[in-house]
Amino acid sequence: MEILRNIARRKLRSALTISGIVIGVLALTTMGALAENFNALLDGGVKYFGSNVQVGPPDGQSTFLLPLSKIDDIKRVDGVAAAFPGYSFQMKPGAAPSFSFGVPDTIVATSPDENNWTPFKISTASGRQLTATSSGEVVLGSTLSKEFKKNVGDTIDLPVKPTDAKGDFVNHPFKVVGILNPTLTAPDTFAYISISDGQMLLKDSLPGPLQSALDVSQITEGITVYGKPGTSLSDLDKIADRINSQIPGVKATKPSQLVDAFKSGGAVFTGITTAAALLALVIGGLSVVNTMFMAVAERVREIGLKKAVGATTLNIMGEFLIEATLIGLIGGLVGYGIGATITFVVNATTSPGASTLFLLTVRLTLFALGFAIALGAVAGILPAFRAARLDPVTALRNE
Amino acid sequence: MANVRLEELRKHYKRGSEIIRALDGVTLDIDKGEFVAVVGRSGSGKTTMLDLIGLLLRPTSGRLIIDDIDTTKLGDRDLAHMRAERVGFVFQEYNLLAGLNVLENVMLPLRYSKNKVGGRERALELLERVDLTDRIKHRPAELSGGQQQRVAIARSMINRPSLILLDEPTGAVDTETAEQLVALLNRLNREDQVTIVVVTHDLDVAGQARRNIRLKDGKVLADERVEAVSVA
Repeated sequence: MEILRNIARRKLRSALTISGIVIGVLALTTMGALAENFNALLDGGVKYFGSNVQVGPPDGQSTFLLPLSKIDDIKRVDGVAAAFPGYSFQMKPGAAPSFSFGVPDTIVATSPDENNWTPFKISTASGRQLTATSSGEVVLGSTLSKEFKKNVGDTIDLPVKPTDAKGDFVNHPFKVVGILNPTLTAPDTFAYISISDGQMLLKDSLPGPLQSALDVSQITEGITVYGKPGTSLSDLDKIADRINSQIPGVKATKPSQLVDAFKSGGAVFTGITTAAALLALVIGGLSVVNTMFMAVAERVREIGLKKAVGATTLNIMGEFLIEATLIGLIGGLVGYGIGATITFVVNATTSPGASTLFLLTVRLTLFALGFAIALGAVAGILPAFRAARLDPVTALRNE
Repeated sequence: MANVRLEELRKHYKRGSEIIRALDGVTLDIDKGEFVAVVGRSGSGKTTMLDLIGLLLRPTSGRLIIDDIDTTKLGDRDLAHMRAERVGFVFQEYNLLAGLNVLENVMLPLRYSKNKVGGRERALELLERVDLTDRIKHRPAELSGGQQQRVAIARSMINRPSLILLDEPTGAVDTETAEQLVALLNRLNREDQVTIVVVTHDLDVAGQARRNIRLKDGKVLADERVEAVSVA
């Protein structure tokens, strides 16, 4: 109680000091939430691409097409347990590119069986997954369902027709059979269709002469290869090497390269945002140091009296440390509250199709508050030490 | 039995190349329940002696025994505990904490004492004895000098110390208030058998004490016991 009164005793100074912490924690919360959001996106990539080998056309090939027969060849490579074809298309072809922290809206054609192999499981919030015999059906990611206001049972034309579409633009009605749970990463903006439907969209996307010349049921855009469950990243790298050496006309990318790319991107982003926020927080911490030194200077007689009536060095240190820590805590709570409100409001006002900017996680909350408290405590150490070391005789007679 | 025993107690300071002998080989006993005034001119060593007995200063040499405990052998932590449990202080400038009310100021030493049980009741009892029951929620700034000093006296008694040390307790109050304070000290001394050592320039205060120790240049110049005086 006395500590709260001490803080309240110099209202303006305390308010200014606490404001320093508030600004720091506010910065840490918002920047951290930005980084957390970005990291969640990247974590999904790390989890997905770290579990398989991506096989595509060899370097230099102008089209992204492979014979489907390569799948059988790849399945014979030592260590390969499963391989799936895959197709992807822009959901909104011709749409003006816009900056986003998320993955663009994409139509993905893949085998329903692949969900059994990847550790990155997707589950439905409503409806069901696609089946091996699905045709004309789509499962929408959580963001897409909001963007297009579609629920299970609704119909959506894919790809979405642009406003300035030419006369030969073709799309097809798909029945929404499932809505996915949010993953905070790529599948949120994915529309999953069956392989056969993917081949249909592939045919639509080919230039006219090729449409009749190519049998799309025999080609794929890429192949996703899985080892046995539990295959390590380094073993997947070895599988990629074996595919490259044994199967001509394909290029298998080592998953470790993709994982490293995701991780380094995340580390740089987190580093920049966290450093900026911590800088603000440290400046706030210095103001706590200053305030506490002034508090010690003003309360010299009080310290002397407390020592005279039995306070030990540790008692005095503890009282000043608690006061500094409390300043950190108050600043932390207020800063976090404002920061959380900002992230909530910004996320809530993000248009349904756009990816949200912020992700406020439990670990970020604990870190922001913990750091503010620790900063207050650390900032209080030197002033508290000075207070505790005051000679009581001198302190008592201080003018 | 002596409550406080000083044996060849010295406190020397260095000021440049000069050695200041603030207290220079004082030996004396103060018995339990005595009311002692320490008098002398400025610089005679009165306050140094009070600070030594109050365990705020460590002697340069000699021994200081309080309640049969040789305090010169104790560490800082034990000295702090002794101050909390066995010694009460009253200062000229009251030294009440501005942020605490009267009751909280009286209870302050309990915070650093091992024995906190019944502290509030004890504080209320003491405030009744110093006639401040109607002021317990007041802040020090709302009290007169005499009232503040009565709060300080109540605070000094909260842990039932065996020894109360007062440094010029009437130095900041008018004559009438000073007389009331001395009467109060006499009453507490009689009723609680608490030893009182008061450093003072005030001859009236010294006259109320039953023993006067006069210091000069850090040494005991005179140690006189006087007849008990009746206090109204």
